Amino acid sequence: MAKTEPKGKKKIKDEENSSLKGTLVSVLFLGIFVIVTWVSVYFLFLNRF
Amino acid sequence: MHIHKYEKIWLAFGLASLIVFLTVIGISAFYLGNKPPSCLTTINPEKVDQTVPFNHPGLHKVEGKEWDYELVYVAQTFSYTPAEVKIPLGAKVKVIATTKDVVHGFEVAGTNINMMLEPGYVSEYVTTFNKEGEYLLLCNEYCGTGHHLMSSKIEVVK
Repeated sequence: MAKTEPKGKKKIKDEENSSLKGTLVSVLFLGIFVIVTWVSVYFLFLNRF
Repeated sequence: MHIHKYEKIWLAFGLASLIVFLTVIGISAFYLGNKPPSCLTTINPEKVDQTVPFNHPGLHKVEGKEWDYELVYVAQTFSYTPAEVKIPLGAKVKVIATTKDVVHGFEVAGTNINMMLEPGYVSEYVTTFNKEGEYLLLCNEYCGTGHHLMSSKIEVVK
């Protein structure tokens, strides 16, 4: 029991330190692309009869 | 459960976008009353010519309705009846269409009028023709060898 504890702690620490900045930027980039295309199609729909 | 700070950001971002998109669709459907063009109105496809309003295709002025005109179309391989129609600018029109034989498309190029016409069903779309010009109505569902010749003309005039 005492031996496994530090191992688990270390794993959590690694996760905290792993950088997700690149993932965040790519997710936001994709999200903004989806929103921009959705909004442009929506306004195209509103401006036509 | 452990969630990374950045994961919380994109989860919130995704959730917020989903809520916005669904709210817009919900308002459109339940408050503005938008529905699919073919909404369970049925007709006997063999008796289209004898059934009101398809016994008199064309533009008709109506009173006491939410729209000023009804534009009735009958589609068959490979043409639309009427072949040409003139609509006064700014008129609120209910387009009512059906087909006598196979599935046809009903697209007025450059507008939101885009429906599928299925035998046995009536497709409807209400819109205000608020831009002058000549519009091409064409079939966008492959219906046979003459499919590419199937078209009609709508003129919006002052």
